[in-house]
Amino acid sequence: MEERKSNKISRRDTLKALATIPVLGCFAYAYNANSSKVKIKEEQNYLKKLKINKLEATDEKLFPPTGNSGNRIRFGLVGNGWRGEQLLKSLGYIHPDYVKDSTTADGKPDKGFQKFLDQEDLNVEFAGVCDTFDVHTRRGVEISANDVHPGGRKYNIKPAKVFSSYRDMIKSDDIDAIIIATADHTHAQIAIAAAKAGKPVYLEKPMTHSIEEAKELRNVIKSTGIVFQLGHENRQQMSFKIAKELYRKGAFGDVNMVQVYTNRNTIFGAWIRDEAFDHKLGNKDNINWKEFIANTPDCEFDFQKYFSWQRYSEYGTGITGNDLTHQYDSMNQILGLGIPETVIATGGQYYYKTHGDMPDVFNAVFNYPEKGLTLTYDGTLKNETYRPSRILGSEGTIDVDRALLMYKDRHSKRYQDLKIDPSDPLYYYDPQNDLDAVTSASTKIYLKGGYGPTFIDGKVVDTTLLHLKEWVDAIRGKGKTSCGIDEGFEESVTYNLANLAYDHKKMVTWDKVNEKAIIG
Amino acid sequence: MKKQKQHIEYTNWQVSSLVILRVLIGWHFLYEGVVKVFNPNWSAESFLNVSQGPFADMFKSMASNPETLNVINFCNQWGLVLIGLSLIVGLLSRWASIGGMALLLMYYICNPPFIGLIPASAEGSYLLVNKNLIELFSLFVLYLFPTGKIIGLERFFSTEK
Repeated sequence: MEERKSNKISRRDTLKALATIPVLGCFAYAYNANSSKVKIKEEQNYLKKLKINKLEATDEKLFPPTGNSGNRIRFGLVGNGWRGEQLLKSLGYIHPDYVKDSTTADGKPDKGFQKFLDQEDLNVEFAGVCDTFDVHTRRGVEISANDVHPGGRKYNIKPAKVFSSYRDMIKSDDIDAIIIATADHTHAQIAIAAAKAGKPVYLEKPMTHSIEEAKELRNVIKSTGIVFQLGHENRQQMSFKIAKELYRKGAFGDVNMVQVYTNRNTIFGAWIRDEAFDHKLGNKDNINWKEFIANTPDCEFDFQKYFSWQRYSEYGTGITGNDLTHQYDSMNQILGLGIPETVIATGGQYYYKTHGDMPDVFNAVFNYPEKGLTLTYDGTLKNETYRPSRILGSEGTIDVDRALLMYKDRHSKRYQDLKIDPSDPLYYYDPQNDLDAVTSASTKIYLKGGYGPTFIDGKVVDTTLLHLKEWVDAIRGKGKTSCGIDEGFEESVTYNLANLAYDHKKMVTWDKVNEKAIIG
Repeated sequence: MKKQKQHIEYTNWQVSSLVILRVLIGWHFLYEGVVKVFNPNWSAESFLNVSQGPFADMFKSMASNPETLNVINFCNQWGLVLIGLSLIVGLLSRWASIGGMALLLMYYICNPPFIGLIPASAEGSYLLVNKNLIELFSLFVLYLFPTGKIIGLERFFSTEK
């Protein structure tokens, strides 16, 4: 046969060259058909396993922003410490030092700074600051003057006004709302005054230092009707919302025991903070000691008491008010626990003996006869193993944090026809579906940390921001707060009962008719 | 000494099996790439963070640097797509084979099934040899026994028939 040396391309050549192109067509078809089917099938699969028709929690949509330059809410911040500055960041305000530290060598924002720039702008104005430590007051003013906000927007507003006392701030006509991030013993006092002055309040947890304060605050909030949010941002965490829905729909069976934990093993974690942050700059001349001790017994300026106040029961609320409250409120959110009937508590201060009277090993049991369950709390400041909150139901066991793992009970009736090894999760929710293969190592990475970001409406959003947004939107008339005064009252009474039980070394009973604690 | 360009004569069965292997590996790469491109939340971060073996520190530090991670994510997902497309349609398929081998080598050394290491993934049992390694050497075979000029778009640019 004559050899083809011409440039002409024959039909045979074309066919052979294009032989594999139809494969691309098959690929595109298969891909499209698969992606829609897989999603539905996955959802149906786990809902079928759990015997639930539909999961509504994950359909939740975010409110669109309610703020604009016309309805900016001017807030005053009382207490600009560690938490205060975190709140400011969610509200759209950062310190110039942060901008400097978070910009890379070629002038670009780093990952964290970029997240700040991408976050929703709540359109609030940092109009007033009040702190008993001059250094922190000054930082607050510097933050307010730093015109770097989400979206790279400039507000062109004047710096926050300094108030030497919260009493002046709440009276001011330049302040629309009050955010309180002070030490625990002044929470009630400031919140009550702010509410009486008609200002909406965002109050950091724990709510109050005593049950009496909780009652008074509750009465004032109810009578004034101001918009109140208690700083438990776990209320925004999707995993807890899902858990709540699963519980309501019977997936857990009868919940009979709830186990929550604190595990820390550092000096900072034990709330000894004399050397932390910029605290070394403090002394009796730049700290308003009288204002700090407020209505507690008079005493001399004490550096340790000021910066490590959590460890002193005159000011702080103990390991329960500081850490148990997080877990308690999450479980209250899921199961609707309310206030227990009886509480026992014990433990002691065995390791950190230099600051205050806070116990470092603490156990408490909260009994809920009407709900048929007990809540147990184990807290230690000398061990940092990871123990997520655990709900024990008659049909299954649930570990819940930012992620949710549910295991079938060996003797479950509801799931008896499911052929699953009890050590394999029956249901698994993780906040970001970007893993190609779910491995045990990465499960632990997601499960840690119940706070921080959550996944809602297709986006990863910080829960503190969502919680503040909820409050701000409610002030503007849209929606209501998810951790209001009723939830706050339950929280405050519960940990205060535990503290009473520990202090008096006796079982404490809650008299819900007269609303008081009966000791012994 | 003049280098002889080796001219390989395949039987029909040989061509078909090599082309099918090429298309199968191409499909595999293309799908892996496409799902990552279309998933806005995908990142190599989780895979890099569970790295083990002699290069674990290097991979983990890549994951922690946001700029490096962005580059890795981009190159990985689009690399997979381009290599996949190239292998399927038979255009620059020898280059694609090299590229595919490079990617698979990265995946292999990031989580090598070495003696004494507990696997990060729960699927299958592997010791020294795993599917990444096998696919890597399959691509090497495809590189040495190219078929793009026979069945593939490269045929349009080839002088030998």
